[in-house]
Amino acid sequence: MPIQYYLFLSLALFCIGIMGALMRRNAIIIFMSIELMLNAVNLLLAAFSKMYNDSAAQIFVFFIMVVAAAEVAVGLAIIVMVYRKVHSVDVNILNRLKH
Amino acid sequence: MKAIIAATILGIIMMYAGFVVKEKKSVLSIATLLFVLLLGVNVWELLTAKPGETQMFFNFQLTVTPFSLWFNTLMTAATLLYVLLMGNDIIKVGKHVGEYFALFFFILVGTYMLSSFNNMLIMFLGIEIISIPQYILAGSDKRNLKSSEASLKYFLMGAFSTGILLMGITLIYGATGEFNISKFSFLQLEQVNPMVLTGVLFLIISFAFKVSAAPMHFWTPDVYDGSPTPFTAFMATIGKAAAFIGFIRLFHTSFATISDSWTMVLAIITAATLFVGNITAVFQQSVKRMLAYSSIAQAGFMLFSVVSVSALAWQGLVIYTVAYTMATLGMFAVLLKLKDYTFDGFNGLAKKNPLLAAVATVFIFSLAGIPLTAGFIAKFYMLQTAVAQGNLMWLVIFALIMAAVSAYYYFRVIIAMYFKTGDPEMASELSGIDKFLLVLTAMLVLLVGVAPQILLPNGI
Amino acid sequence: MNLFLLNAATNSLSDYLPILMQIFMAIGIVAIMMGGSHLLGPKRKTKDKLANFESGIKAIGNARQPMAIKYFLIAILFVLFDVEVIFFYPYAVNFKELGAEGFLAVVMFVSFFLIGFTYIIKKGALKWED
Repeated sequence: MPIQYYLFLSLALFCIGIMGALMRRNAIIIFMSIELMLNAVNLLLAAFSKMYNDSAAQIFVFFIMVVAAAEVAVGLAIIVMVYRKVHSVDVNILNRLKH
Repeated sequence: MKAIIAATILGIIMMYAGFVVKEKKSVLSIATLLFVLLLGVNVWELLTAKPGETQMFFNFQLTVTPFSLWFNTLMTAATLLYVLLMGNDIIKVGKHVGEYFALFFFILVGTYMLSSFNNMLIMFLGIEIISIPQYILAGSDKRNLKSSEASLKYFLMGAFSTGILLMGITLIYGATGEFNISKFSFLQLEQVNPMVLTGVLFLIISFAFKVSAAPMHFWTPDVYDGSPTPFTAFMATIGKAAAFIGFIRLFHTSFATISDSWTMVLAIITAATLFVGNITAVFQQSVKRMLAYSSIAQAGFMLFSVVSVSALAWQGLVIYTVAYTMATLGMFAVLLKLKDYTFDGFNGLAKKNPLLAAVATVFIFSLAGIPLTAGFIAKFYMLQTAVAQGNLMWLVIFALIMAAVSAYYYFRVIIAMYFKTGDPEMASELSGIDKFLLVLTAMLVLLVGVAPQILLPNGI
Repeated sequence: MNLFLLNAATNSLSDYLPILMQIFMAIGIVAIMMGGSHLLGPKRKTKDKLANFESGIKAIGNARQPMAIKYFLIAILFVLFDVEVIFFYPYAVNFKELGAEGFLAVVMFVSFFLIGFTYIIKKGALKWED
């Protein structure tokens, strides 16, 4: 299969992730969209790895997954901390509390 | 390399020290001791390195040059200064004091990696290692909703920009088949294809997020305002410097040959950053928020070093980072001594506490770039690099105008301190050590202003 | 790969004019559309319209039940430690080639792991009963 297919698929996923992150208001869904962006990158890296016959990109994917897991741990903890205070994960509520 | 290992191990020791030692003051003493130790390791590594020699580690993924060692040493010294200046305020933030200091160690690990990476993988790890602890630090005041909000905002924005960074890295890998940044320098303008350009653009966007440059700066004021003040000081100085060294290292070592294709984008970002930072800072009522916007404006000046591709830019970045870090840390230390963070809270400080007002004046002068202070010489270096570049005169002139605007809001603090009457409430009294450290920082600011060459020893 | 979108060699200021025009067009259309729908559209907000659609049945109670924080903590820690195991895959594939040096590296990795694990145990994150 030509590399373009993978490229377009991952860019489409990446754009869906970006749109989700920018347009949704629920912090969890924003977070899921960001994960989608990262996974689009993972897919593309795996495709390029096959194209160049170079395993470095696959190792990079492992590192992205691990770092993403660390981010999930910190991020979910932050979201729970906020939820316990305002009983909502709507980011607009947070903006209202600004001043 | 020794410093990375040492910082990791010391961070773990610090993590466990919180279990053994219950007294907060003792945790602070241990942390100070360990930071001194880390500085010692840095100095040792710097002194044992042969001048001009580049050491390679991990299969060329890490290239340690004398420059990066020198930068690491400066950043460690800045962290030590920070802990000494604000240690008593750090331990007041929450219960888990040992962990806060441990996180500083881990951020320093990320800084060391960013100052010497030679591979996109290490760059990515370095950026994440400085970012994730900062999300935690922003939300460390758990009782305060503003702190949690700042943390959530910072986290969502940071994770988003990480996604963009990774896409940039991947596209460049797709175009070149390489993660090793020194190999990109063979990229020539003729063989640049849209994939490389998109990748470079994504990297610019992502780094602009991390250093809070203009179109991507909107998280900065809220996050810096909401976070506990001592941690804001850290994020605005050392956290930002770490992101900048990664930025300049990536763009000057790898994309220097194709600089024609990205300098204009970055120049526009610089101009926008200067504009937004300075103009919005004028309208602030709180000094803490003003410092957040001023940190955006200062990031605009630091971006000059990335825009102009030359060896001078690296030296300029070192001087600017140190000057900005010292002045901002000092200013936050003064701020922490006061109860009221608005401009009115500074009214009449000169009468009540002349020493505090005097050192604050030095820091403000440095931030505004008045001659004889470090800030002036730093701005001078930055503009000089841009002038040497040739085609950026418009940006230099614009920066000068913006520097004049910045004088307005900086001097409001001085006017409040010296020419207005009032009785500022102090959060805590100045101890002898506090006075000594504040004066020392102010002296350092003046010393760098008079003799900047001490920051540029031979061979870096 | 032939995407020929950008030709970096010949860019002058006039080349950006179409982009500028497009930006203005885009902003203008969005502004007109949003302003128009805001001005022309009817606005009747009733309680029923704002409520969740539950197949016509009245919604009872709150869907968000309070959940013990313990489950959540365990789940996060599980994710963290579970994913770290990923690095064993490349090690397993190259087990023979890496030899003693690779083994030492993995031992170091696992010991960092254990340090983190003892840290969370000491912190009391895995205690079920308070």
